[in-house]
This record gives sequence, structure tokens and C-alpha cells, in this order.
Amino acid sequence: MLLFGLDLDYVAAIVLFCVGLYMLVAKSNLLKKLLGLNVMETAVFAFIVTAGMIEGGDPPIMVQGTSAPFASPIPHAMVLTGIVVAVSVTAVALALIVQIHAHYGTIEVDELKELP
Amino acid sequence: MTGPWVEALPWVVALPLAGAALTPAVAARRPRLAGVWAWGVLLLATGLAAGLVYELAVRGPFAYDLGGWARPYGIELQFDHFSAWVLPLLALFVVIVPFSWRYLEHAMPRQRWPAFYALLLLNAGGMVGFCVTGDLFNLFVFTEVVSLSSYALVAVSGRGLAAYAALKYLFIGAVSSLLMLFATAQLFVLTGSLNMADVSVRLGELGPGLPVMVAFAALAVSFMVKSALFPVHVWLPDAHAIAPSPVSAVLSGMVVKVGIIGMLRVYQIYYGAGTLDLGPFNQVLVWLGAISIVMGAFFAIFQDDIKLMLAYSTISNIGYIVLGLGLASPYAVIGASVHVFNHALIKATLFLAAGAIIHQTGFRTMTDLRGVARRMPHTAAAMAVGAVSIVGLPPTAGFVCKWFIALGAFEAGQAPFGFALVFGALFIFVYYIRMVNAFYFQQPVHAAVAEAREVPWSMRAPIVLLATLCLLMGILGGIPLSFVEPAVLELLPAWGP
Repeated sequence: MLLFGLDLDYVAAIVLFCVGLYMLVAKSNLLKKLLGLNVMETAVFAFIVTAGMIEGGDPPIMVQGTSAPFASPIPHAMVLTGIVVAVSVTAVALALIVQIHAHYGTIEVDELKELP
Repeated sequence: MTGPWVEALPWVVALPLAGAALTPAVAARRPRLAGVWAWGVLLLATGLAAGLVYELAVRGPFAYDLGGWARPYGIELQFDHFSAWVLPLLALFVVIVPFSWRYLEHAMPRQRWPAFYALLLLNAGGMVGFCVTGDLFNLFVFTEVVSLSSYALVAVSGRGLAAYAALKYLFIGAVSSLLMLFATAQLFVLTGSLNMADVSVRLGELGPGLPVMVAFAALAVSFMVKSALFPVHVWLPDAHAIAPSPVSAVLSGMVVKVGIIGMLRVYQIYYGAGTLDLGPFNQVLVWLGAISIVMGAFFAIFQDDIKLMLAYSTISNIGYIVLGLGLASPYAVIGASVHVFNHALIKATLFLAAGAIIHQTGFRTMTDLRGVARRMPHTAAAMAVGAVSIVGLPPTAGFVCKWFIALGAFEAGQAPFGFALVFGALFIFVYYIRMVNAFYFQQPVHAAVAEAREVPWSMRAPIVLLATLCLLMGILGGIPLSFVEPAVLELLPAWGP
């Protein structure tokens, strides 16, 4: 399915990416910023996963009755690795947010800016 | 054809990473052991890297197929002239780690030492991997290893301000990494390959197009953020100034260079493909580089905090390197690639010396540190040598590169930028002379400064060694220049042999 001459799933991924970027830039709450980052990550992963799909393709697992064409397995491997990376980034960010909260008592950027 | 050192290629990456994983176990009982362990691992890795560079010098660039899978199916490690950066990189780590031994005693509680050294090893391993990998997705993974350990290293001293600076760094860094992953995916969709050399060939067959340009733009912006070029530099000053001094040296000297090496890799892909006219983009790089030089220097002038000043000076120097890359003439690119190393050396000297001074006196602004040179002559002398080098005065490491970049500006027919470069150097001279003046020629205002003692030798030796190298590289500066020359000539199609 096409939208503006592009595949619909690509358009969706780009829209989702921009939504996440907006959250990251515009929100003042650090947790909401992090959620925005996660939305962006999801957008990129969705883009990669859909890239591996082939119309009418079988899963690339050799069992009785499968036949070419096969869906490409590489994007899935990439996304799995990407998810691991994204989880680590989220974990580090959450740990930092906890430290900021313990030290300043707030996780709002506009309040943090006013602190000395 | 291939020598015995080729087999060492995967190990030079695996060794620091494995060392990092083992650090907490090794140092579980005695945190002090962590530092020695990290040093040993890095020393061994440096030995391997030296072997690799020897192999490169004797037989030229080589590659190693991980798991025996040839490209484009498997992950390929490649060692070319730009990868040779891993040797000075690891060597600098070897110098910085002994400095950290005593430094950490005041900087953080003992229980955190193993984590600190583990992160440092991860950082080193990630950067080595980044330099030697020939696979785009692998490049992304190593970028993330470097970035994540950097975020944690900024926050490791454990105060609220450090956590906030680290988080800002993380948000911007994560977005740039996502752009890189997006571009990698885009290139994979376009070419069906992830191997850089293979992608380059297939892009050449594919011809120009909007998606090819989008992927290029995403990669370029991503690496600009990583290297803290002017409009996207905002994360750098706080993160680099707040981190513990050995970490500042690593971040400012080496981690920002991930962006530069990444840019060189992107150039290799796109110049190799030859279907995209990079001229307009290079012009943008030249302008951004020139603006970075001036803005970095401009902000640095107004800083009283010495570490913040050094952090802004990094933005200036990245400007020099990017300006050199953008000029795209042999002299400029050779100067820029060597400045990657020389700036790392100079910045490590300056940050370690600054760290030593802050460690001994407890002050970090120039106003408070007046007259510190009387009581800490060696450290202050190293700081002065570093300052002279970074300005780019003749007998030092900074001179050769900046000279080459300026020559490159004339060679490329963009003489105004050659003058901009000299003008920037004058700016930089102003704020470093201010620091040298405060340290040497003014009366101490604090008793702590007037009675400060020189740092212990385990901290002083690395500083003095680095400062000596800054001077030596001015005299022996021709060696790295002629070393990267063949790679640069191969990279630039219009000027190639």
C-alpha cells in the first residue's frame, strides 16, 4: 500500500520517529523524554523489521513444506541486537533519573534549570 | 601474503571487552587490584595493536573474517591506515590508567573502583572495535558500547550534577545512534548488504537517488553529534567538565574522535561508490568547522573553570579536524587525520594536568588557582606545554597538523579558510595565555594553593611523559603524516594517484 509514493510502513515509521522526537524535545519531564526516546527506537525497529518482509515469503526455517521465497532473517537479528542496546540505554537513563531525583527532588527540566 | 599478526586482529577487540567483564570478579576482594588489572589488559592490547600496525606498515591493509565467513556474508574486521589509530588510542589509555590509581582515592568510594575500571576497559574495547570493524551494523553496536560506557563514566563520580550532565549526554547521544541505525537499515534495504566495502560497490551500481542521500545525511548528522560539531555541541561542555579528570581526558581526547573516524568511514563508502556529489556537503563541513573553531574559542574565553575551558577548546579542535575533512584536499585531510591523534595527546596532557592541580588544591577556577605554578612546577610546566601545543606554536605537536590544514585550504583554493584558521589560533592563544599568566605570574589568593604539594609520582609521571610527547611530536611530526598519506590519497578520488 502506497502513501505519497512511499510504502505505508515506511511512512508510519517516520511519523512515529517524529512523534518520539517531539516528546524528547518538547516535554519537560525526564521520564516522558525517555519514553519519547523509546518511541523513536520502536520506530527504527519497525522500519528494519518491515524491510525484511517479502510478499508471500516463508519464514527462513528449513522444515517440511517450506519453499522460496524466504523472508530475510538478517533484519530480525539486527532488531534483536538493537533491542538489547535499547534496553541497556533505557536502564542507564532510568538509573540516572533515579539519582537526579534523589539529589534534587525533582525530574522536571524547567525546575532543574533553576537550581544552582 | 598474510603475516602472523593478522590473527591478532579479533583479539585486540576481544581482550579489553573480556577484561572489562572480568574486572568485578578479579577485584571483588581488593578494589585496588582493579586498576592494575585494567592496566595489564590494556598493556597487552597495546602490544597486539603495535603488532598490527607493524603488519600494516610492512604488508599494507588486511582483513580478518570472523568465524571464517567471507564477506559479504560474515562480519569482516579490517585494518587500514585509519584503523591504525587504535595503537595511539590504547597507548594513551595505558598512560591514563596509572594516573587514575591515586586520583580515584579522593574522587570516589572504593566500592566503585572496579566499576570505573570495567567501564574504562569497555570504552577502550568499543573504540578499538569501532576502528577495525568492516561491517555497518557492527559499527553501530560498537558505537553503542562506547557511548553507553561514556554516559556511565560521566556519572560515575556520583553527584547529582554529574547524573544530570550524563543524562543530557545520553539523550542526545541516543538520538544520534538511532539516526545511525536508521541509516544502516536504509543502506541495507538499498543494497542488501552490511559490509562497508560491499555496500560501497553496490551503491556504485545503484546510482544516485533520494534514499541514498537520506542515508548519507542521517549518517553525517549522527557522526557530527558524536564529534560535537558546532550546532550540536551542547552536550559536550557539561559532560566533559563534570566527569573525573582521567575520564575527561578519555572523552575529550578519544571518544569524540569516534565521530571523526565514523565520518572517514562514510567517506570511504560514498567516495568509493562515486555516485553522490559530496562537494556541497564538504562546503557545509568547511563552514561548520570554521564556525566551531571560532565559537569554541569564543566560549572558552569566558570560562573561569579550567576544565570547562578545556572542554570548549575541544569543540574548537574538532572544528579544525572537520574543516580539514571538508576541504577535501590531500594536505588538509592528512593534517586532519593526524590531528585526531595529536589533539588526543594534547588534550590528555591538559586534562590530566588540570586534574592533578584540582586534586591537590581543591580549586578549579583560574581566579582561585593563581600562582599554583610555584608549588607544582612539573604539573604547571606540562600544562604550559599543552597550552602551547594546542595553540599550534611551531616546535610542538599542534603545529604540524594545523599547518597542513592551512596548506590544504590554499591547495583547495579556499584561502579565506586558511586565514580563518590562523585567526582561530590567535583566539585560542588568548585564553591559554590567560591561564598560563594566572598560574605563573600572579600571587596565590588561597592558602591551599600557596601550600599545595606536587602530586605523587604515579600521577606526575604520566603527565610529564605526555607533555614530553607533545614536544617530541612536533619534531617527529612527519612520521604520522607520511604514514596516513597513502590512505588519504586513496580516499580522495579527485586528487588520487
